[in-house]
Amino acid sequence: MRLSPQQFWRIRENQYRLFITVCGSCGRKAILKRPVCPYCGSDRVHHVESSGLGVLESFTKVYYRRNSSEDDLPKFIGVVRLTEGVRVVGEIVGVGADELREGMEVEAVLRRYASDDPYGVIYYGIKFKPV
Amino acid sequence: MGAYVVGGAALKIDRHFELGYKDLAYRVVRDCPECSDVDYVIVASALPELSAHQVDLGIHVVQWIGRRVPALRVESGESSGLAAVDLAASLVSSGRARRVLVLGVEKVTEYPTYTANYFYSLTLDYEYEVLRGISPPAYAALAMKELMNSGVRRECFSGWAIRMHENAVSVPHAMLRFKISLESFKDSQVLAEPLTLYDSFASGDGAAAVVVSSKPNEGDSSPEIVYSGAEVGLPAYLRDRVSDLTASVGLLRRAAERLGLDLRRAAVELHDSYTVYPIAILKGLGYLDDRCDLGGFEYLNLSGGLKARGHPVGATGVYQVYEIFKLMTDGLGGRTAPAEYGLAHSMSGPDNSSRVVVLRR
Repeated sequence: MRLSPQQFWRIRENQYRLFITVCGSCGRKAILKRPVCPYCGSDRVHHVESSGLGVLESFTKVYYRRNSSEDDLPKFIGVVRLTEGVRVVGEIVGVGADELREGMEVEAVLRRYASDDPYGVIYYGIKFKPV
Repeated sequence: MGAYVVGGAALKIDRHFELGYKDLAYRVVRDCPECSDVDYVIVASALPELSAHQVDLGIHVVQWIGRRVPALRVESGESSGLAAVDLAASLVSSGRARRVLVLGVEKVTEYPTYTANYFYSLTLDYEYEVLRGISPPAYAALAMKELMNSGVRRECFSGWAIRMHENAVSVPHAMLRFKISLESFKDSQVLAEPLTLYDSFASGDGAAAVVVSSKPNEGDSSPEIVYSGAEVGLPAYLRDRVSDLTASVGLLRRAAERLGLDLRRAAVELHDSYTVYPIAILKGLGYLDDRCDLGGFEYLNLSGGLKARGHPVGATGVYQVYEIFKLMTDGLGGRTAPAEYGLAHSMSGPDNSSRVVVLRR
């Protein structure tokens, strides 16, 4: 994998923090700081930062390999309903399969996303862990 | 001016380690007599930059196969093939071209499977899905759980896969020409619980061609492209339910209503990258209850679908149109579909985009 420090620096706000776009036209809310509302297309939007707290609505245990190492498998990908009412999909960490359950309270944490090699770029971003 | 499908060819989808993009393109054109007389070439392909370090594939393919006609490449992820057919119909209908060769070609086996998986995952949003560890089978698994929680039995998805493998047995270019049973699922590798390898498409290299012409072949009944449309959905993570495939359901409903088309009577090729998606679509259209009885469909994915015929990502839509053309004319693997309409449906990602092309005999 070839990671780009420039690309990741450009999108750092949405990787290091949990922003929500609130639409001034249709009133809907969507995860990520966005220039326009993804539901109605309006640019009458403002942004608020999430508390990072939420409830795990659903999850799957994933064995699908995308790199040469199996060290990070299996991983859990879950749908989290934030306390602000917005859904976000992300990785759930710090918990075993037998402990994970739907309805569990979770919080956002900063964890490693990817790295080039032992001496290369490392990306960090939001994942979730049980409260 | 109309746009007619007047010919085509397809290579067996397989691990063609000895053939690259240009070789695959040459092989399929060599097997296609109608492909020689064309004044425009559109190459449909999703992955050449990633898997073969190649940009401007359309021109390089045309040079390799010895044509001196304008060419371009169309890329729209998994639905690249139908996007290319759509564009070909537009060029012909507008008078910009007389006969267009649509050439779907893809290499997915140039690297180990985990690298191919990574390339395929890039049909999702790299910055906000891929980097966060989200993959196509993870979404498919979440969608499957939603349907199962609402009463759909696991056997609905297994049943789709079993039917696709049965259909593929007689299809010469299908990748997996063997039957599977319900027992097979018990030992199948898990991709993302509850989704297994047997719920997933077959991954192979391939090339398929169709010729879209302003005139039907003399003396025969070349099917006409009477509808081609596209719709964009919300990213799966913004939907109330991942399994709400509103772009596909809406587009299929619109196409059917406009043409007075009944999917149960038409030759239909549905995008079934994962078994959950066609079930979700047919349920969304109101054709299926929770028992998933597919018996009412006369010509549903007779190719075996992405599941068993295979899914050479950007080429798949061209395979679908070729298969419908064959079913509506001289037959595919000994089977014909004496239907008035043939419909190909494709989507990229979990309904990020949806495309439909309809042929009428």
